[in-house]
Amino acid sequence: MTTARLDRRLTGIATLVFGLFLILWSILPLYNMVRVGLQHKEDVFSNNTWPPHPTLDSFRTVLHEAYWLLQNFWGQMGNSFYIGVAVALLTLTIGTLTSFTIGRMRIRQGWMLTNAALMTYVIPMSFLAIPFYGIMGKYGLTNNPLAVIAVEVTFATPYAIFIFQQYSGSIPQELDEAARIDGASPPQIFFRIYLPLMAPALVAIGTYALLLSWNEYLYAFLLLSSDGNLTVPVGLGKFLNSDEAPWNYLMAASIIYAIPPLVIYYTFRRKMSGGLTMGGVKG
Amino acid sequence: MKQISRRQALAGSAALATAAGSRRAKAAGTVTVWWTQGFYQAENQAVIDTMKEWEKRTGTKVDLTIINGPDLITKLIAGMQVGDVPDLVHTVTGDRFLVPQAAWNDQLVDVSDVIDSQRSEFLPTALDNSRFYNAKLKKRAYYSVPLKCSTLMEQSWRPLIEEAGFSDADMPKTHDAYFKFFETVQDKLRSKGKRIYGLGYSMATKEADSGTLFHHFLTAYGGAAIVTPEGKLNIDDPAVRKAASMALERLTTPFKKGYVPPGAINWGDVDNNNAFYARQIVMTPNATISISVAQMEKPDQYFKEIITQGIPAGNDGQPIASLLGVSPCIIPKGAKNIDDAKSLLKSIIEPATLNTYLKETRGRYLPVMPSIVKNDPWWLDPADPHRPVAVKYGLLLPTTAWWMAYNPAYSAVLSEQIWCQAEANITQRNMTVEQAAEEAIKRIKATFEKFEIG
Amino acid sequence: MAVSTTMNHAAVTPAERRVTRSVGLVGADRLWALAFVAPYIAVFLAFVVYPVGYGIWLGSDPASYRALFADPVYPEAVLNTLIYLAVAVNLKLFLALLLSGFFMRKGWWVRTLLLIFILPWAVPGIPSFISIHWMLNGQWGLINNIIWDLFQVDGPPWLDQPALALGSVIYAHIWKWLPFWTIIFLAGRMAIPRELYEAADVDGASRLDRFLLITFPLMAGLYLVCTLLSAIWALGDFNAVRFISGGGPALSTHVLATLGIRNAFELGNPRMGMATVLSALPLLIPLVILLMRQLRKGEVQL
Repeated sequence: MTTARLDRRLTGIATLVFGLFLILWSILPLYNMVRVGLQHKEDVFSNNTWPPHPTLDSFRTVLHEAYWLLQNFWGQMGNSFYIGVAVALLTLTIGTLTSFTIGRMRIRQGWMLTNAALMTYVIPMSFLAIPFYGIMGKYGLTNNPLAVIAVEVTFATPYAIFIFQQYSGSIPQELDEAARIDGASPPQIFFRIYLPLMAPALVAIGTYALLLSWNEYLYAFLLLSSDGNLTVPVGLGKFLNSDEAPWNYLMAASIIYAIPPLVIYYTFRRKMSGGLTMGGVKG
Repeated sequence: MKQISRRQALAGSAALATAAGSRRAKAAGTVTVWWTQGFYQAENQAVIDTMKEWEKRTGTKVDLTIINGPDLITKLIAGMQVGDVPDLVHTVTGDRFLVPQAAWNDQLVDVSDVIDSQRSEFLPTALDNSRFYNAKLKKRAYYSVPLKCSTLMEQSWRPLIEEAGFSDADMPKTHDAYFKFFETVQDKLRSKGKRIYGLGYSMATKEADSGTLFHHFLTAYGGAAIVTPEGKLNIDDPAVRKAASMALERLTTPFKKGYVPPGAINWGDVDNNNAFYARQIVMTPNATISISVAQMEKPDQYFKEIITQGIPAGNDGQPIASLLGVSPCIIPKGAKNIDDAKSLLKSIIEPATLNTYLKETRGRYLPVMPSIVKNDPWWLDPADPHRPVAVKYGLLLPTTAWWMAYNPAYSAVLSEQIWCQAEANITQRNMTVEQAAEEAIKRIKATFEKFEIG
Repeated sequence: MAVSTTMNHAAVTPAERRVTRSVGLVGADRLWALAFVAPYIAVFLAFVVYPVGYGIWLGSDPASYRALFADPVYPEAVLNTLIYLAVAVNLKLFLALLLSGFFMRKGWWVRTLLLIFILPWAVPGIPSFISIHWMLNGQWGLINNIIWDLFQVDGPPWLDQPALALGSVIYAHIWKWLPFWTIIFLAGRMAIPRELYEAADVDGASRLDRFLLITFPLMAGLYLVCTLLSAIWALGDFNAVRFISGGGPALSTHVLATLGIRNAFELGNPRMGMATVLSALPLLIPLVILLMRQLRKGEVQL
């Protein structure tokens, strides 16, 4: 065997080992979720690495809300969806209107809006939790999903505006001008020309806003209190203070809760790749 | 399409306004209630049933939300800052973390009239635990209504003690010897190859159990006078100082020697229960008898395996008065429906209602009314190995009130976990007991400076 | 954020766009423009300006800072925050840079691997963090069970010892966000014209040379912006600490973001909570200024 061939083979093995390590690294906590989710309640506090008697019982329990901490699980899913969809729609509406005005109608004070958005973008979200709580009290919005929606929209719009402005740069300005000469009003241009051409960016930002609010914990925890208003992450947090330690139910519920964003993400993955993903880390 | 006339539109909006108005009127007939989540389902079901019963009787709606202990306190503190509060709150550890300071800040409604409706029934210590100083009005009043109470109980595994070659009768009756016994049990079990810890001391800097344990040790060593009933800090009293140092030393030394699970410095209030069920520990001191009560449907464990004891006597053989933890109900200022909240509260503390509710929770907590346990044989049922012990120590033997009722500064001391932090300084940061005690005392003094009663 | 050249729609470069004129709008257009921006302005005033102002007002009481600096937990939280930023952010981005090179390889299996690798980012954070918390439990956690199965020894008490607990938080942060930054760098690398590498190959450049002379200089701007943004976000990270270590053991792993919430809502002192958060400004402001300066250069856009 020549050294070159040996070299190549060694590199191949190294790559394989490295690839396996990456898989292990990526899925270990997720495997733990599945492992515990497949266990019986009695096995949770035993020293196993593989569920000794795998069962789908805990998933069934979650589906039927057949455990006291899960009594409103589907209601919580509904709340999470409601908040997520509302945030996505509002972010899209406010974001497109603003970027249309700045980029297409080119108002003179556009830079001020861009700077305002930039300023919001660099505020760590959790830093405003304390004053936000007080303010929601003044607005009469505590224990109201609208409060969480407002917070999420506030932090999602700046990023939406950047992306829309950037994306609309690829739409020729001449289209607007031609339409204006034909006597189209700004709303007509907005609806007939701007929005249809922005479709890909709308999908990306809509997904981003939905996922952002789907993952929110701190604000949902602080701002929502009655059982009927809770979102899933807050409901999951409730588990951590029960004597029975139903970790198997907790993990089964977690997995079910993780499915919608996974489906959404892998469906729209191509649209979200590269640049359009950035704001997703904000938290 | 038919045009809607201006007048019709006006009429329509007027109708809407009336509808909205009547909805508001109906909302006034609702009591919003927050209740601490139980450790097991029966506790929650008992609250739900109690509320339903009252709804049926009075026609007033109850909007009940069950929230876990620490979260409820966080949310209520947050809510009180902006005046967005429920009408009635029951918080299990609120007697130490929330009520004293809220009363001081004039954030609670005076509930003396509710207390008065049953005044002669209450255990006197429970009433002592419910009177707080309002710094704005410069006077003391009842700002919380005690509902249920408990004292520190010791729970242990009989099979493990027997496996170590001992029986119930071998367990010493005085403080130091009692706890030392479990170190011996651990040594014996370890020599048989069992991975187990003798002592399940909670030593975390969060929630209530760790603080309960420390303060029990403090009183056992003669430090009960740390705050005078007038609210003055008495920590320079040499006896108190000595007791504090001894408590720190006796809790941290077994930890350092490996008789306490290392994870205990992170235990929340449920975690010692879980470690117990997993048979990681032989015994654990706990604020209630929740460990056994949650296992009621397993007769083997409940009747044969789990031992429940009250606190041992002091080292001199004299009995120690247990610190009585009281779980209060409060009405925050800013509540929208104080009248109904008060009448709901009055109904809950009617002895018959309270008895039904607490029995339904399986007696994890004791009623604050001695007459209840005297009139209903269920509480002292001789066939039950756990409940009568708890009743004896909580309601029949001497008890003493926690000091936050005397001065809310002590509530801040507990919230900031100053003593548990001192334990951690010894076990994690290698401070000596003296250094840790010194630092804790300095911080406690600084805390008391912020709360001058006078 | 994007690497401008990789965006298929970035047909107009920023420089070109900037020359476009701003017009003074008249009449109906002006009204429409006002109506269109009104929602955003309303959101900005109601939910940014007001809370920020209110927060600064809450945190303007010198007494809160005195109390804060006297609290022994505070210096530890500051130190933890600095360690968190220095270690978690830098380690994560450095690994992401290396991994992005790995994922430049061709082949179906690399693409499949990437799909798996992205999972930590695609799964919602709270459940993952709860799972990691349980996985690291010293007594019943998966990790120590594996260690026991392999070596018959007790694994370390991951969450019960201050340094290990902070390490665990950092691990969780890296695990969660590594895929995301890898994708960003991957996009950055793909934007580098292949001809540059081909030319280098002709000149007989080694792998290291290629990285040092081509990849790194071209990626430096992006890398810096990513570091700054990631540091700003990590400064406000609440969930990792809250769910992995809960600030424990013995309050030793709090960072400013979690300590602020604790002071405000657990100890009932919102002023001190706000003071805790605002005390991070000397750290936050330079990061923001650097970021703005870097963005203005226009190599990388948001």
